[in-house]
Amino acid sequence: MSRIERGVTRPEPITIVIDGETVPAFSGETVAVAILARDQLRFRDDRSGRARGMFCNMGTCGECTVWVGAEQGAWERLRACLVPVRPGLEVCRCPPEDER
Amino acid sequence: MRTYDVAIVGGGPAGLAAAGQVLEAGLSLCVIDEQQRPGGQILRQPPETFAVPGWLPGASYRNARALLDRVAADERMVWFGGQSVLAIQPAADNDGWDLVLAGTAGPGSGPVKARRVLVAGGCYDMPVAFAGWTTPGVMSAGGLQTLVKAQQFLPGERVVLFGTHPLMIVLAQQVIAAGGDLAAVCFAQPFSRMAQLALGKIPAALASPGPLVAAAQGMAALRKAGVAVHFGASVERCDAGPEGRGVQVHFAGKAGPLHFSADVAAMCYGFLPQSDLLRQCGAEVRWSMPAGGWEAVHNGLYRSSLAGLYVAGETTGVTGSDAAMSEGAMAGLAITADAGKLDQRTLDARIAPYRRRRQRLEGFIDLLRTVADPRGRLPEASGDTLLCRCEDIPAQAVDEAIIEATAMGRAFGASEIKLRCRAGMGLCQGRSCEHALIRRIAASRKVSEASVAGFKARFPVRPVTISQLIDNGEQ
Repeated sequence: MSRIERGVTRPEPITIVIDGETVPAFSGETVAVAILARDQLRFRDDRSGRARGMFCNMGTCGECTVWVGAEQGAWERLRACLVPVRPGLEVCRCPPEDER
Repeated sequence: MRTYDVAIVGGGPAGLAAAGQVLEAGLSLCVIDEQQRPGGQILRQPPETFAVPGWLPGASYRNARALLDRVAADERMVWFGGQSVLAIQPAADNDGWDLVLAGTAGPGSGPVKARRVLVAGGCYDMPVAFAGWTTPGVMSAGGLQTLVKAQQFLPGERVVLFGTHPLMIVLAQQVIAAGGDLAAVCFAQPFSRMAQLALGKIPAALASPGPLVAAAQGMAALRKAGVAVHFGASVERCDAGPEGRGVQVHFAGKAGPLHFSADVAAMCYGFLPQSDLLRQCGAEVRWSMPAGGWEAVHNGLYRSSLAGLYVAGETTGVTGSDAAMSEGAMAGLAITADAGKLDQRTLDARIAPYRRRRQRLEGFIDLLRTVADPRGRLPEASGDTLLCRCEDIPAQAVDEAIIEATAMGRAFGASEIKLRCRAGMGLCQGRSCEHALIRRIAASRKVSEASVAGFKARFPVRPVTISQLIDNGEQ
């Protein structure tokens, strides 16, 4: 899994937090790409515990839905392929146990 | 509530072409799209923060890019990016439509009212269930392609493409240009059959030779790059790779089984119209041929069955971006005329060149539909294959529900099956599994797919958090 380097100029990296781990990302990238870039095809587990990955990358299937940190310590379930990263954004692939 | 003469849902080729006409007539306009930037899936743009000077080379993108450059730069267009339309409903004062919006990445921009609404929602890759298709790394061709085109990201080094649609030829070139390694491109249909079907259609398709030339050049480029293109190879199963990394894809080939290890396996069996919004508000749709799904019906001038509601592009049947641009322009002109800005004679005169352009594409559209036809080439789901990915409903449970419903002795549609086994009740609201349910119901009842009633599309047609709905209610 890799960012295409040739012919592409990205802005200075920022960091976001995925499952408690601080990772680099580039402004304009989607949360889905930030997850994939960690070498993670798995976005969630289904009801029988089998791993699931993203499927459509266009907001249609909902398979990439994750928990994204919202205002006032809340979490919001959003489609990762439609959410651009912003500095310090918190993301959980599994249901978060507490308020942030 | 913010009010516009016209709201367009979908900022792809059809929506932008319509926008150009509407703006030229001096009507106020907003365009709403789930993506942050205009362009649609065909021209999914890299983020504004990226510089990609060589983005989407090639003649096939030229017309659409020119349209995008022109319309997206027009400051009269109000752009609502990163917004889902959850519903279209008649305005409280019966003068137009209210659109309920939600933000895809946080708070939404509130509801919008418009006298006239065009839905140009595009299409999406048909999700095809087979054993192991929920393994991470199996994705849609469009998913892979938009990661490469827009995010400039390759989700795996080694890629397998499979299906029936020649878009795989284009995608394979893009993966190679991005530095990826193609393990194989597997067409389910035999080459002889494809060639035989294509031959009879080529004379008519030559009225607009561009796409044919691009396809031939694409095949030559793949041969030069040493990519193995298999025909008559239909996918049977996919397993997770060793230690859960990547995928192993197994095909039944004409000359025996084929096995590939890859990071990503992308399927390409054709496209379904995005029409849930139209179904939600009660516009007429019909089963789309040949790939399936529901396409919006219009009167020839892109007026839907509901007054003040228009449809254009892939939402009305999947025909490609060149056709979508012509249709969008015609829809925009019809809207302009209905708003009293064009008399009938001027409308007829201005529509004519777009109608001719659209007509010239018909030969190629027919060729592509015939060659790419997935019917009879779709892989089989095994009993434990999940048809509904959201609610984890296996094919076996769906088939049992069909047997139970049949025993009741009445005709039944997809909603009855949904109520019995929960297929279609999840986040995607049936966009992934509805077509598969309808195919199974049709086969079991021995009727055509077109005669099987689909799910009742309901508010909200896209997933939204309760907190956003509450905020919407307060606005």
